[in-house]
Amino acid sequence: MDLFRRFALGEIDAFETLVRQFQGSVYAWIVRIVRDPGIAEDLTVETFWRIYRARHRFRHDGNFSAWSRRIATNLALDHLRRKRPEQSLVADPAGVPQPNHLLQREMQEEIHQAFRRLPVKLQVAAMLALVEEQPYDEIADALGISVGAVKLRIFRAVRILRRQLGHLGVRREEIQTRVNKNDRT
Amino acid sequence: MTGHDDRQIRDALQQSFPPVNTEIHRDLWPTVLRKLEARPAPMPWYDWALIGLSVGVFLFFPRLILVFAYHL
Repeated sequence: MDLFRRFALGEIDAFETLVRQFQGSVYAWIVRIVRDPGIAEDLTVETFWRIYRARHRFRHDGNFSAWSRRIATNLALDHLRRKRPEQSLVADPAGVPQPNHLLQREMQEEIHQAFRRLPVKLQVAAMLALVEEQPYDEIADALGISVGAVKLRIFRAVRILRRQLGHLGVRREEIQTRVNKNDRT
Repeated sequence: MTGHDDRQIRDALQQSFPPVNTEIHRDLWPTVLRKLEARPAPMPWYDWALIGLSVGVFLFFPRLILVFAYHL
């Protein structure tokens, strides 16, 4: 009997094999969305717990990887919805502070705030497509929508960001001038 | 929207969100197994009380079922 059929029948050994085989890809997908290793681990565990509970609904000839990715994406979406909007996704880079770090940080913070104001569905599509450069068909599979709908979400995200960051071009020039001045002194 | 705009936003986002390490650091199977073995939380007493109260009300006032269904 194949592994997926044994898993669907509730065999714990088969499930263990599947967890060990797919935990890396599920974790990688989640961490690309939530950008926090600790939270990504928790959500990966939760994903496999839900997969086991929903094992009866898994078609033996289906794509386990795509199925697990969809469950993982739904959990990541729920997490982002619960997360406080002011909580930043910017990781503090380790090491000694670089020159002009504060100025760059200021701009990054503005971009982050604009991004976090996007509807969560647009955030996830934009994060996976624009930042992580994942293939559109994989994003579509994970979100349970068509490739056209993914493109539409990205289009809307870019349009909103462009409007919100309209002043950033000016700010960037202003900051660049300050950076250049600091470099000269 | 132009491709240039699109590229600008993409570049700005990529600068703002540094790459994350997508490698998993540990085997999660023991944690998954612990979670599977954990007993589900029992239903709190007030949920039982609410169910009992609803059943009682509907037994004594069956017409309320129609009113309730209408407002659903």
